[in-house]
Amino acid sequence: MADPGRAARTRPALRGATVLAAVGALLLVGFPLVELFAAAVSQGPATVVAAFRGTGALRAIVTTLLTGTVVTVFSVVGGTAAALVTERGAQRGRSWLRAAVLLPLVIPPFVAALSWGQAYGTAGLSDDLLGLPLPGVYGLAGVVTVLTVHAVPLVYVVAAGALASRAEPDLERAARSSGASAATAFRTVTLPLLRPAIVAGAALAFITTVNAFGVPAVLGTPAGVATVTTRIYSDLVFAADPQAFVRVLVLASGLVVLTLSVVGVADVRDALGDGLTRTGAPLGGAVSGGPRWPGALLWGYALATSVLPLLALVLVGITQAVGLAPVPANWTLGHFRAAMSGLGGPALARSVLLATVAATTVLLLGGLLAALRHRRGGKPLATMATLTFAVPGSALAVAVLLAYGPWLRDTLALILIAYLAKFWALGHRPIAGAAGRQPPELAWAARVSGAGPATTVRTVTIPLLLPALAGAWLVVFLFGLHEVTMSSLLYGPGSETLAVVILNLRQLGDVPVTAALAVLLTGMVLLATALLAAASRTSRRLVSRRDRA
Amino acid sequence: MTPALTLRDLTVAYGAEPVVRGVSLQVAPDEVVALLGPSGSGKSTLLAAVAGFIQPRDGQVLLGDKVMSGPGGSVPPEGRDVAVVFQHYALWPHLTAAETVAYPLRRRGVGAREARRAATALLARVGLSELVDRRPAELSGGQQQRVGLARALAREPSLYLFDEPTAHLDTALRASLTEELAEQRRARGAAALYATHDAAEALAVADRVVLLREGRVGQVGRPAEIYEEPADLWSASLTGPASVLGARVSEVAQAKVVLRVGEETVRVPGGTVAGLRSADGVVLVRPEWAGLGGRLPGVVRQVRYRGPYTDYRLRTPAGTVDVRGAGTPSVAVGDAVTWDLQRVWISARS
Repeated sequence: MADPGRAARTRPALRGATVLAAVGALLLVGFPLVELFAAAVSQGPATVVAAFRGTGALRAIVTTLLTGTVVTVFSVVGGTAAALVTERGAQRGRSWLRAAVLLPLVIPPFVAALSWGQAYGTAGLSDDLLGLPLPGVYGLAGVVTVLTVHAVPLVYVVAAGALASRAEPDLERAARSSGASAATAFRTVTLPLLRPAIVAGAALAFITTVNAFGVPAVLGTPAGVATVTTRIYSDLVFAADPQAFVRVLVLASGLVVLTLSVVGVADVRDALGDGLTRTGAPLGGAVSGGPRWPGALLWGYALATSVLPLLALVLVGITQAVGLAPVPANWTLGHFRAAMSGLGGPALARSVLLATVAATTVLLLGGLLAALRHRRGGKPLATMATLTFAVPGSALAVAVLLAYGPWLRDTLALILIAYLAKFWALGHRPIAGAAGRQPPELAWAARVSGAGPATTVRTVTIPLLLPALAGAWLVVFLFGLHEVTMSSLLYGPGSETLAVVILNLRQLGDVPVTAALAVLLTGMVLLATALLAAASRTSRRLVSRRDRA
Repeated sequence: MTPALTLRDLTVAYGAEPVVRGVSLQVAPDEVVALLGPSGSGKSTLLAAVAGFIQPRDGQVLLGDKVMSGPGGSVPPEGRDVAVVFQHYALWPHLTAAETVAYPLRRRGVGAREARRAATALLARVGLSELVDRRPAELSGGQQQRVGLARALAREPSLYLFDEPTAHLDTALRASLTEELAEQRRARGAAALYATHDAAEALAVADRVVLLREGRVGQVGRPAEIYEEPADLWSASLTGPASVLGARVSEVAQAKVVLRVGEETVRVPGGTVAGLRSADGVVLVRPEWAGLGGRLPGVVRQVRYRGPYTDYRLRTPAGTVDVRGAGTPSVAVGDAVTWDLQRVWISARS
């Protein structure tokens, strides 16, 4: 946009904002990661070899890569198929179906893992009612399955977005009326056009899977299956020997290198932002004709993989004791009371506080940058923000511990730093996106109507950004609320988050109280998600009406 | 002779709401029929049903003597002998112009080399021989639609479906592309159904014009009939500017109309819609059916110079009337002038 006048006026402010953002990124992410790599490299090769020999850490690496690959393949197939069903099929209740497919994205992964255990594991609901536990829920099969369920919506969002950005399926229609059968049109038109989205979705699924901690911790650890992230956790938290710390450093650095190189190979910047911030349903065009059974299949899938497990978790949480039938006669709220009177209450308060402070900080920074119409530095900044989100939570936590642990060990501030480092991308994206979509004419119109720069920002720019700002706040709040990977590595006495308490209680075997807390957390998360969806709908209505005309 | 296209009581609905309501229509081989209607009148939906993109709720679509959509089921789009030129071009972003035009040929089993050769030749015919290896993103809107046209030509259909093909082009390009479409279709001798909301375009390209109003067929006729003898006020205003004359009709006989305009009795060529009692109708005047100079009084309210001609808006005893004069403006706003009628047409009120 050639607008020399405005650029000249805002340049000092622009530079200030860029410097602020760069310093923030450096302190939050750059410095800790440098510390991590420096510490890892300073270990000699001999030390590293000695630290890994005979510990099973190598098997954890193989398991991680294998899990990542298998989950990626499954979720690409599943997510793409689901996108074709909802965006190109003739489905009644399309927007509900979309929401059903997206549901696993908003259930905290470790809660999903807990609920699968309660639904399909030994002594779970299906075992109790039908005598049919699914074999291998605790173990590699369960880990892969639940991670796949979590990754499918990631691919789905990107693929559905690519399909729905063409509201009318004119390109397929053009192929059909050029003589292509439905299958040929799919092969020669639909699929090639989806390829970039599928590649981005695959990279996203892979990164998310190898970075996952909650699911392998809940379903893998009890069965002796370790991944890199759970290995970092056990080596850092439970092991006492110095060699364990060497392993932590090397594994964390290796995980960073792996995920960042995947990000580099596939340009997932857009996908990452979409997948993580766009929980609202994409716009799409209705197409008539075609069978209805794929929709029914999707409903069945959503029911079996998300709804039933959550239901099982709720039943465990409200049934007096494990082993009793989950019927109203045996229901109680006792577990919720027990949960809140123990560690749960204070931990909940801490999680809410952490999430609120993190969300508000991210919002203020993002809003400031957007209000200053951050254009020149916008793109590198967005890339940087995305990269920090791709950095595995486990590694980031270790890095933050190395960099700031000496001063802040066992404090909430340490966890807050990790949250800000990890989540600022989540807040930055929707704000920058909405600001970028805002036609500059709107601000120009205010200026020629007599408004000064500050008044323009206050009366036009910010009001139009409000839904996006609200969305950004909520999405950071959401992730902060159920964060477990980093807080489980950084907590100390008196700084346990709710997710950490749930995880620890479960390791102690207190199943009903664990379930009660998990239900509580999930309820809050779903509530925040509903608000988020409303905010994103409003945002899209406000900002992109022009684009759709 | 079997018509190229026959629609029988075609009803198409999105959900509960019918968009096309009981349309019956025939298009003869080598005939161009324009579907003229405002946006939302069901033009695109009708074309989509003919192409087989959507299934009608009721009625039949026949191409030649073969039933394409009907109670017995539906032939998929690739099995229909039609080609579509889309409103938004619908060019595949991942294919070059040559690949796009070769696509229908390849689907027909033509070999890759032969298809490319033929595609290159077709692109040359629409004036794009320099641009065969460009992708849509590297082409202007007009060039993109030419590629879309070449793709349709490559299909060699018996019936072309043009879905507002020039709606997104600027005025100068529209005219030249409309010419191009007409020329290429004529060379192939196929029939065409041409949807547009632009009356001038419809009148220029079509052998026959079908007015579409809220999914129903309104007036049907040759372009001159549609323009000169609109059935009602709605049809008149859809097809061009027209003034309603506040005049009393005293007599209609032998292509002559006798009117009372203010104090004057005027006897002009014209007529009325068949079967319409003139007392129930409205007296319409197209701007070029009236001119300055004559017996009737008026005051100039507005002068619009349009290049080849000038439009004057007059306040007269018969209400506000637009009249047209050749060349540059000859009078100014506020001038008292005289004017006269050369023709009137009496249409139904609605």
